Amino acid sequence: MGLLTILKKMKQKEREMRLLMLGLDNAGKTTILKKFNGEDVSTISPTLGFNIKTLEHKGFKLNIWDVGGQKSLRSYWRNYFESTDGLVWVVDSADRLRMEDCGQELSKLLQEERLAGATLLVFANKQDLPGALSKDAIQEALALDEIKSHHWCIIGCSAVTGENLLAGVDWLLDDIAARIFTAE
Amino acid sequence: MLGYIWHYVYSSFLRHWLKWLIRQVTGQCELQRICSTYKPGAPRTSRAEHSLRSSKSKVLREALESNRDKLEQRVEEIIKVKNIKPQKDPLFKGSLHVCLLQITGYSSLCVSVEDLRKKVFDSEDQDHEAMLFNLWGLLMPTVKLESRMTKQWGDIGFQGDDPKTDFRGMGMLGLINLVFFSENYTEEARQVLSHANHPKLGYSYAIVGINLTEMAYSLLRSGALKSHFYNTVEGTPELQHFHQLYCYLAYEFDKFWLAEEPESIMHFNQYREKFHDKIKTLLQEPDVGLRLTVQSGKK
Repeated sequence: MGLLTILKKMKQKEREMRLLMLGLDNAGKTTILKKFNGEDVSTISPTLGFNIKTLEHKGFKLNIWDVGGQKSLRSYWRNYFESTDGLVWVVDSADRLRMEDCGQELSKLLQEERLAGATLLVFANKQDLPGALSKDAIQEALALDEIKSHHWCIIGCSAVTGENLLAGVDWLLDDIAARIFTAE
Repeated sequence: MLGYIWHYVYSSFLRHWLKWLIRQVTGQCELQRICSTYKPGAPRTSRAEHSLRSSKSKVLREALESNRDKLEQRVEEIIKVKNIKPQKDPLFKGSLHVCLLQITGYSSLCVSVEDLRKKVFDSEDQDHEAMLFNLWGLLMPTVKLESRMTKQWGDIGFQGDDPKTDFRGMGMLGLINLVFFSENYTEEARQVLSHANHPKLGYSYAIVGINLTEMAYSLLRSGALKSHFYNTVEGTPELQHFHQLYCYLAYEFDKFWLAEEPESIMHFNQYREKFHDKIKTLLQEPDVGLRLTVQSGKK
């Protein structure tokens, strides 16, 4: 193996990112993952356990973990924290009743030591639904402005139409890349 | 590459010459030979389907898209086009009719199943709500549901306080399958539920059920269930036969899960795939028939 190949290998390894997608059940995590990957999103069932997808985007190799959000699964979330570069928190913008629950779960996550270095992207999903709260309302409901421990950004999106998914992921990648890959 | 050329040459020329030659020797057309050689069910119907689909005659090809009540007429037309003497082969007409009922029935079953899947669970619809309460009553006969929105739904394996959101992808199809299993195999459904509530090997009964509906649905759409329905339904497969298949999957998955002893529910997808592969292998057997057989043998 020549020096160049070794360097190339290291480079490839460096350009891998691990993204963890969490949120309450029915937030739309699997739909976001599938839509982003160009798959059919009309026949999705509730997620038991997790889905993982590896895809290439903007020259990065993304390992995206989508873990089920129902209450009984949340205690397992911790098993997926290790070496996470980006946390994607997905919110069902139309689920006003559980917005408080949603905020509490998120703030619990942000206190996790193993997620300390991760960039946070909040997807205010289901913006296509009539009763959906706006991105700004959710920013307030989840008290995002109080977050000082993580780089964060909130983006209104719709997994069903695909609107703004790309914008969100692009922001996340840029932020992570600026943190990890420019220190060379 | 050679394989492609051979396939092209075979299907465009050789197959027709060969058929013509055999027809001259035996005095029977391909469909007649299929109906007399192969036993009823998938061995016969699948071959008849292939023969009709690759026929040069429009009448034969179009019979596959025909309406159920026009099928007898289509059979007559085929007999005429193929110049078949009914007195020489009296069983042919009936055999071909059954084949066509099965083939066209499979396509219409796909349509009815898709319609049910697309029907969204609607809390305003009394029938939908009644079905949901019925499910609870069948599975939890001794426990009263305290309200419509309640954590109790979790006891039968829904995710949150309102089961509605869990029906997203599979729509009413998911709910109807769950109710059908509980109604027609009440004891078995309760037994499966008790396994699902096991502290260590447990899983979420209802949403696993919805995932299994998705499995049944994708098997149907891919055509993988053809052999099963051709073997088990002597005529047009109906929705109830699809629900029956769901019952088989729900009952068998439970057995499979317990036998595999997964570490936790987090490994569900891995075992789901393993089970899926097992079912797909079974479906490749020509004499497959996936029927729920109760172990105690009382049904």
